[in-house]
Amino acid sequence: MAAGPVGGGSGGAQTAWVLNLLTDLAFNLLIFFVVCASTAEDEKGRPQQMPSASKEKAAEQKNTNIEVAIGRTDVKVNGEDVPPAQVRAKLATLLAGKTRPEDKIVVVKSAKDAPYSHWIKVTGAIEQAGGAITLQLEEEQEVVR
Amino acid sequence: MADIAFNLVLFFLILAKTQDDSNRLDWVPAKAAGGQAIKNPLISVTVDRDNRVYLNGQQIGLRDLTEKVAALLGDKPPTERSVVLKIHHETLAATFEPIMEAVSQAGGEVVHVIEDERPS
Repeated sequence: MAAGPVGGGSGGAQTAWVLNLLTDLAFNLLIFFVVCASTAEDEKGRPQQMPSASKEKAAEQKNTNIEVAIGRTDVKVNGEDVPPAQVRAKLATLLAGKTRPEDKIVVVKSAKDAPYSHWIKVTGAIEQAGGAITLQLEEEQEVVR
Repeated sequence: MADIAFNLVLFFLILAKTQDDSNRLDWVPAKAAGGQAIKNPLISVTVDRDNRVYLNGQQIGLRDLTEKVAALLGDKPPTERSVVLKIHHETLAATFEPIMEAVSQAGGEVVHVIEDERPS
């Protein structure tokens, strides 16, 4: 902390005191901005609109909407194998001309062993193509032991 | 006085940062495009590399997730109902899909935390 002579007689001592004060202030400001910068280390996120994850509704929509099946490494669009890099273009073609929001729903069915890194890329491609995602979940199976 | 005030501000800033336990969990985000900056998320659900699920840094069972998230969300307006999902990139759908369903059922808006993928 700055602790120079207050109201010292000589001009040199006063200059040193002011310099000390300014150095303290500058140092504190530096620490403040360093802490702020590390706190503001922004995480990136992608909001995902999911109308519902209901089993029944998804099953009803299955017949009318586009269905995307996400496997461990592969993707099927309406049962047809599509390279992951081309999912966006394929869906954009399929969704072209569809104006009603309910027609843009894409039913996503994932294999149990599909990794998140693959899933997030495919669902991102669906959204970029203008689709709205609905998850089709597998029926829960009650296991009686 | 100004020195003390500055130091107090710094103290509380650092304290606030360390209170978010989810920063210390062992998970690696998936890489994907289209990430936006997330500001002040109130609720986070993390899945670590051992498939353990955490709600705001506290380990939780999947069965309790909907109820706990709904309680945290309360009557918040739609703009404040974001729930950030920090899912380890190798987690399988069998684990992460029920979590998304639970958050959705609790009335939360799902936000996936990702690492921005730069075009090569």
